[in-house]
Amino acid sequence: MIDPVISHPLGDFIREIIPIPEISFLINALISIIAICAVAIGTAPILIYMERKICAHIQCRLGPMRLGFHGTLQTIADVMKLLFKEVYAPKGADKFLFYLAPMISLTAPFLALTMIPFDHNLQVANLSVGIPFIIAVNGFGILGILIGGWASNNKYSLLGSLRSGAQMISYEISFALVLLFVVMVSGSANLMDITQSQSGTILDWWIFKIPVLGFIAFIMFFISSTAELNRAPFDIAEAEQELTGGYHTEYNGTAFAMFYLAEYINLVTTSSLATTCFLGGFYPPLIGIESIDTLLLKVPGFIWFAGKVFFMISAYMVVRWTFVRPRVDQLMDFEWKFLLPANLLLLALGATYIAIIG
Amino acid sequence: MGIMNAVPGLLDPIPGGKHLVNMLDYVANWARANSLWPLTYGTSCCAIEMMSSSMARYDIARFGSEVFRASPRQADLFIIAGTITSKMAPALQMLWEQIPGPKYAIAMGACTISGGPFMYDNYSVIRGANTLIPVDVFIPGCPPRPEALFHGLLTLRDKILRESFRNPWKEGEAIDQPYADRWSEASKAWAELEKIKDEEQAEARRQFKENNPDYKSPYKAVRVKKDAFPEVPRPEAPLIGLSATDLFSIALEQDSSITLYNSDSNEISPDRPNDMPLDIIVSKEKYVELISFLKNDERTNLNYLIDVTAVDWESHFDVITQLMSIEKGHKLFVRVSLPKDDSIEEEKRATSILAEIPSISHLYPAAEWKEREVFDMFGIHFENHPDERRLFVDHDFKGYPLRKDFTHPHIMKRPV
Amino acid sequence: MSLRRLPPGFREENIDLDTEEFFVNMGPQHPSTHGALRLALRLDGETIIEVVPHFGYIHRGIEKQAESMSYLQYIALSDRQDYLTAIQNNWGVCLALEKGLGIGVPERGEYIRVMLAELGRIASHLVFYACFGGDLGGQTALLFGFKEREMIHDILDEVTGSRLTTNFFRPGGSVHDVPDTFIPRVTSFLKHLEKTMVDYERFLSTNIIVLERTKGIGILSKEDAIAYGCSGPVLRASGVSYDVRKNDPYGIYSQLDFNVPVTYNGDTYDRYVVRIAEIHESIKILRQCIKQFPEGPYRGQEKASIRLKPGSYYSATETAKGLYATYVVAVSGDKPYRIHTRGPSFANLAALNTMVQGHKISDLVSILATLDPVIPEIDR
Repeated sequence: MIDPVISHPLGDFIREIIPIPEISFLINALISIIAICAVAIGTAPILIYMERKICAHIQCRLGPMRLGFHGTLQTIADVMKLLFKEVYAPKGADKFLFYLAPMISLTAPFLALTMIPFDHNLQVANLSVGIPFIIAVNGFGILGILIGGWASNNKYSLLGSLRSGAQMISYEISFALVLLFVVMVSGSANLMDITQSQSGTILDWWIFKIPVLGFIAFIMFFISSTAELNRAPFDIAEAEQELTGGYHTEYNGTAFAMFYLAEYINLVTTSSLATTCFLGGFYPPLIGIESIDTLLLKVPGFIWFAGKVFFMISAYMVVRWTFVRPRVDQLMDFEWKFLLPANLLLLALGATYIAIIG
Repeated sequence: MGIMNAVPGLLDPIPGGKHLVNMLDYVANWARANSLWPLTYGTSCCAIEMMSSSMARYDIARFGSEVFRASPRQADLFIIAGTITSKMAPALQMLWEQIPGPKYAIAMGACTISGGPFMYDNYSVIRGANTLIPVDVFIPGCPPRPEALFHGLLTLRDKILRESFRNPWKEGEAIDQPYADRWSEASKAWAELEKIKDEEQAEARRQFKENNPDYKSPYKAVRVKKDAFPEVPRPEAPLIGLSATDLFSIALEQDSSITLYNSDSNEISPDRPNDMPLDIIVSKEKYVELISFLKNDERTNLNYLIDVTAVDWESHFDVITQLMSIEKGHKLFVRVSLPKDDSIEEEKRATSILAEIPSISHLYPAAEWKEREVFDMFGIHFENHPDERRLFVDHDFKGYPLRKDFTHPHIMKRPV
Repeated sequence: MSLRRLPPGFREENIDLDTEEFFVNMGPQHPSTHGALRLALRLDGETIIEVVPHFGYIHRGIEKQAESMSYLQYIALSDRQDYLTAIQNNWGVCLALEKGLGIGVPERGEYIRVMLAELGRIASHLVFYACFGGDLGGQTALLFGFKEREMIHDILDEVTGSRLTTNFFRPGGSVHDVPDTFIPRVTSFLKHLEKTMVDYERFLSTNIIVLERTKGIGILSKEDAIAYGCSGPVLRASGVSYDVRKNDPYGIYSQLDFNVPVTYNGDTYDRYVVRIAEIHESIKILRQCIKQFPEGPYRGQEKASIRLKPGSYYSATETAKGLYATYVVAVSGDKPYRIHTRGPSFANLAALNTMVQGHKISDLVSILATLDPVIPEIDR
């Protein structure tokens, strides 16, 4: 089912110089993996820095200032320090699962990232079942948190992982239903097709294309994905004030760094998904005026894509530092009693809209 | 000892390997020194200053240390903020052991240096964090200002930058150090220096006096004039609720045997200040009855328990129950005098319960913990108390601290 | 009744459990126990059945130590009991000593005391705001509360020479006079605070998640509040209008015009509202003091050594946390025979168990935040 064609000039070039298709496919795949990892891991420190700065400025502080220009090297120092730290598992922990958990957590967002079209011909795998694949992989990430919380042999961790398990399984449904709405209106589950269905002006993006409904869908996606990401205000799994750190209470050094990285790579993945599904992917925000549009079109697609992703990420970050955390049962109530019915209604309205207007 | 500490042994013998180790050192030290994540730990006043230092005005984030970790497993820096008591000490040591290496400790405040204001005459405060864990930087102050904490942080940073994989950091080294009384050493050295200086200058002084026989120092001691302040009389306090006379007569209705404390007659003098609560003595047997009457009586309505406390007079204990009416505002102190149990042998007296009194926790739920405190501090047993355990000191603590004859090996007398 | 042994402090009761019983230990090092408090929780899933606080992790034996210190030295120790309301503790101790010495305070001295105490009250309530927001998960509120508090510390720093542990009042007045810049600084601070309080209240008071988290949570009935000896905002949120400043006035509070905010639900939100309203009342008091601030001596004649007449002396003050009472027993000499402090946090915390039963761990944290305990004052 996986389309072995990597639709990029680089892929074509490798296919040309290596005539054996199996080997060229392998080399191409290797390049893609390295590229995805490099991009994602390279972005994470930038995001952490960004988060610390955004948080600081919201709180009337300066944030990291001393290391490098305005503290730009701060996260690099942090990551390196974590790599040099002592690593040990607590007494009574299940060592194998304890160290497996962060790896699972880190794998899931990478897998999802392979589906994202960064540009016209910058996509690792063009899967016809892109959206279902992403939903499936997203559910995989929670496994890491559950295992990690259980294997730590700590009551706080266990409570944290149970909370996050309940929360993510609940919000998974809303998350999937909103994506289903996008699949329904665009008529395809392939992410490239979804993006291409938004070509044209800014009003052709799914957030604006269907009046009101698109925007509501976007907000719902935002809420459910915040919960999926385990970020504040839905960070009940970590809940520092209650559970001292939730599922990663017992993690240290590299293992903790992996959880930390996974959180931010997840952020990139989800933001990319939001960009692809609602904000027109790699298309520039054309406004219908010829002279401006030609200028906008000159900027390459992946820069537009990155810009939109960063916009989404900042939105997540601002929300994180603005709201307080709901209680665990309120969170469940909100999902099952409000968000899910609203989602179903949205689907019905969307279907009606398509049936009437087309 | 991590894997990295084996690196110098392998690389140093190779030509050029030294530079490689130096490079590694530099990178690791740079990362460690600039990314100190503190543990959220604070017991008292210093904790507030530590919090202040991470807030908007001072912003510890500038140095990259705003990532306060609640779990010791992710922290690098242990800022010991606040007094350490003997009950807290095991927890503190456990926290320190849970921090993965390389780890650093900053002792913040006078209490963590020497016990600070609680150094003398104290049975529970640990005199210095360095008696428990190895400390890298001490910050004096009570509490130190946030700027001082930053200075400590930067001092620690400089210290880390001089570390190397070649001399691995070892836990416990500081404890094995022989004790050195630096202060007396320094003062001795100082006195000797002064002596030498004196001898050197004696000749010069003599010379000067010879040359200038009428020399007078231009400086004069100035006596600061003492400010004159007026004598201010104590203002008359208004009467709140029932007067002492009324309260006493109501109490007499229930129990005619009660007497006034600190008074020869049972008459309340008219010049008794209004803000001095009525203090009555009741016998142990009628104590609960009286309190329950005073609580339920419409007129007195003493429904609020301020406190239950005790005083140790050499021969007896006074248990004082301080009551108040929240609606009317008048207060009443009920005092029970409990003679000390003489049947206990002399050497066991300090560690055994010497008196008992019925509990009033069924009347006032607030009394439960207050009575526990009195039990804990004085060794007075409360009959029918639902949960009589030690409250503040460890469950196996010997003795009752607030007794006048209490001694403890930890106590250091203040030199007079 | 089962034969198993419960951890110390738990009461044996027959409870229908949905799941297996689960014991969790919070503290002594925990981000939301406000210092060195240890709470043992008995849980049914995440629902709390019983909570048993354990004290003494910061028991410093202040009362024992005070017996070998002079009265004046004890004032410095009173700072370290409730370090958030240090200046009000100083006042409480001084009131008791003044009763024993039979002296009063000149008018200017009283105004200085009231103004500093009200500044301290605002500072303490701002810390409450910060910790409350922080414990609910709003890290930004934590920073905001502390931001304005720093300005109060600037004023305290200038007046008393110390940010936190002020040690400023003495029997008969204060250590020294306030500087000329005091009144203008307070005036400009109040102007600033009124503006920012609008923002701060918008941040938490009307936030829907905060309302959901706090309304109807941790209800303390009027009867329970009195029975457990609660005081201060905790008592007033349960519908009891008792404020020492109003009901048992000391200093010049009887001459000042202010209200005692009272709410009647006794839940977490009400305790929050009462404290915010108290900040506004303190601003009102400070405004009046600025208007009436008199000239004259700031203290009465000092004595060579402070020796109290034999007897026992009781003073009650209203700190930001509640009723702070000092009980001094004097025999002879310049040392107290016994000093006992009745701190508000100790009594307030006694009501915790009744308040949290049936709630979740998250609620325990927010309820504990609204009790606003300071542990060194409990342990002493």
